[in-house]
Amino acid sequence: MDKSTLWSLRLGYSAKQAKTIEKTGLKKFLEQSFDTKLDSKIPVFLEDSPKSSQELKEIRKTLNAADPEAKKEMLKKEIQISVEMKSWWIDKMINEEFPLREKMTCFWHNHYVSTFQKVKVNYWIFQHNQILRENAFGNYKTLTKKIIQSNAMIRYLDNLENRKDKLNENLSRELLELFTLGIGNYSEEDIKNGAKGLAGLGIGEENAIYRKFFEENEPFVYLGKKGNFKVDEMIDIIFEQPNIPYLITRKILKWFIYDNPKEELVRYYGDYFKKMNFEIKPLLTKIFTEEFSKNNAGSKIKNPLEYSLQLLDELNVTNPNAKLISFFLKEQGMDLFNQPNVKGWDGGNSWLTSQVFLQRNNAADLLCNGKNIARGQKDMNENSMMKQNPNQQLNVKLNWNKEGNSKEIIAQLSERLLFQKEAGNQQDFEQLLKYDFDSKTEGSENAVIRLFNFMVKTPEFQLI
Amino acid sequence: MNRRNFLALTGTFTGGSLLLPNFLYSFGSQNNLVLGEQCVVFVQLNGGNDGLNTFIPFEDVLYYNLRPKISISKTEVLNSSKGMAFHPALKGFAAIQQSGDLSVIQNVGYPNPVRSHFRSQEIWQTAPTHQEYLSDGWLGRYLDLQCKEHQPTAGINLDSIDNLALKGEEPNSITVKDPDRFKTKIKAENDGQLSKNPQLDFVRKIANSVVEGSDDIQKALAKTAASDVVYPKTGLAKNLEWISKLIKGNLNSKVYYTSLGGFDTHDNQLAIHKNKLTELNDAVYSFYEDLKKSQQLQNVTIVVFSEFGRRVKDNGHGTDHGTAAPMFVIGGNNRGKIIGNNPNLSDLDNGDLKHQIDFRSVYASLLQNKLNFDSSKIGIQNKALEGLF
Repeated sequence: MDKSTLWSLRLGYSAKQAKTIEKTGLKKFLEQSFDTKLDSKIPVFLEDSPKSSQELKEIRKTLNAADPEAKKEMLKKEIQISVEMKSWWIDKMINEEFPLREKMTCFWHNHYVSTFQKVKVNYWIFQHNQILRENAFGNYKTLTKKIIQSNAMIRYLDNLENRKDKLNENLSRELLELFTLGIGNYSEEDIKNGAKGLAGLGIGEENAIYRKFFEENEPFVYLGKKGNFKVDEMIDIIFEQPNIPYLITRKILKWFIYDNPKEELVRYYGDYFKKMNFEIKPLLTKIFTEEFSKNNAGSKIKNPLEYSLQLLDELNVTNPNAKLISFFLKEQGMDLFNQPNVKGWDGGNSWLTSQVFLQRNNAADLLCNGKNIARGQKDMNENSMMKQNPNQQLNVKLNWNKEGNSKEIIAQLSERLLFQKEAGNQQDFEQLLKYDFDSKTEGSENAVIRLFNFMVKTPEFQLI
Repeated sequence: MNRRNFLALTGTFTGGSLLLPNFLYSFGSQNNLVLGEQCVVFVQLNGGNDGLNTFIPFEDVLYYNLRPKISISKTEVLNSSKGMAFHPALKGFAAIQQSGDLSVIQNVGYPNPVRSHFRSQEIWQTAPTHQEYLSDGWLGRYLDLQCKEHQPTAGINLDSIDNLALKGEEPNSITVKDPDRFKTKIKAENDGQLSKNPQLDFVRKIANSVVEGSDDIQKALAKTAASDVVYPKTGLAKNLEWISKLIKGNLNSKVYYTSLGGFDTHDNQLAIHKNKLTELNDAVYSFYEDLKKSQQLQNVTIVVFSEFGRRVKDNGHGTDHGTAAPMFVIGGNNRGKIIGNNPNLSDLDNGDLKHQIDFRSVYASLLQNKLNFDSSKIGIQNKALEGLF
């Protein structure tokens, strides 16, 4: 596979950035990606959603007073907004000129998990997502502090229930186990004591605040230090621990490059990350530029986003239906804003089961036939929220060298689609596009689409 | 015509019992029960099979004049009848013909013949009216209309690549690369050849396990009766043996498709062609005997064809791409006739035979007589060929 295509896929979701990477070089491409401006607008669909705690209180009141039908109606509306939010994000992933920020946001989204299912306030989920976007290339320690003190996280990990004399350890546990150090680097005592430091940290206007009445103000021992620590100081202590850089470095390597990163690589980059005071930009720059020069294509199974957005881009589907994509992602086990549990999507081999693989192949067949990636459910036609009829015919078009002969076209497509090509593959491809294939004849694109369709169903297409 | 879910009979009689007369019901457990479920097996000869050296006009002096180096001698040909006879490698074909189970359809082709393998195969596989470009195959279109919802095993393609003929709007067919892996699923899953890339091995393992419809295939294979015919050890024979197992296991697919390559004999034709025809003959004859012994032959129609024939005049030791050629139909209660005139070697179009029978009329006849389907529904406008069934 062509190297800039491979890295366009790794640093984004399709081959769209391959040309830029090739032209400007990876380093410049990374700088440009880091420099992207942030869209801090609150999306239209959230305009009517409750935001301040005052508004939320009122809503709760009306909800309690409302009859069951009205209650259902209100809940349904929030669920629809959540669906809109998925589409909003998918559109960003597709349309950003430099999608690395969105890819990194999605990484953090799967690290600091907080789902709509449990939080149930769309605006908080949006805020949570924006923090990740703003700090995507910032500082790991700073980001940890901010995200722990987001309303969404407080609700998601039950810290509202964590009060003096009635501690709830959930947030304290995940802070150590999943968000920072990982199992084996702390004691159960640390979790219990951490809960004391977090007690009373509750929902605030924009972010979490301590409620005096529920705080626990006795000194405790946390990772060997004694004091009356609050959340920021606790995180400072966590980041003094020797093993702090490795869990996150391993996860970054997994997200972008290797399903099974070698432990020495994790150590190597992790130590550098620590040296850089947990600044994310230098870490990413080092990882990407050093790994770029290695032969490591085919070491990661594409996640459903990488799989589907690449296909849509290859087939030049204009204005792809983000809502159908989000349904597809859900079926594929990557429902945005809704991971199955606080650990997030496992990734790697667990992306693929036979069912999922079959679904991917069906999606490829549908798209190559000019149909949408997922079939419209029966009621979707009438659903006013669907901007496009899901069953409409798409205009799919492949980019290929019209001057080329069959072998050149096969080479061009496989460079773009397959991380490697074996002799057996080549034989099959030449059966589909025979030596006397003439690209000048009318209808020749049908044959090339068939070749494409076959290629994207090979196991090799599943890997980057 | 009533649309009928022909797969209602698959595997169980509960759905099909309504269609069966009561007296037949008790035959359910009996072997060799003829359910009247017809299927068609296509054997596509890739590369352009030389029709004139397959079914040979051995009494035509022009044949020997035009092909000084590569003609087959009168004394070698088999089963002569009305000036035509088989290539000596086709002993099985000759025997089948003598049993009355083989029809030859002569000079099959289409107007404005294309001599590109690529395009001509496309034309045979999509059966367009005016050579327009169609993205779905003719069998795919038929299965789209014939199947309720979708039925992944309605068409089975035994090949390494998908077949355009079976491509439709719905996934009504599957391509099985290596039927061996259906032996036992667990075994196949653990057997995957290992590369040095564990991630790739993992995906391959998954890919091997997920052919949709593989459960139906498994069931059919489990039910199938052992065959007392020993098939040769060639690729085509293996594929036909598997098809026979699936038929006998009541998979009830309507269409099976497989292919044999190597017919593009531009040079060294005599030797190459003999090898290829031997491989074809031995595989098809075993298949035929197997079906006959298991009393399936009346339900199974085998169709052997190629994307075009070859130039009448040789180019030295081989032949270049040509046009019309014979098609062979075996089994399925065909009338065992030779249909159409013998090739006219004195009236050529740029050195090539003029076609006399349109392949689409053969398709129409197969659809009408064997699959009980109105061919005009899939845009085939040619009248069904008479005299085949």
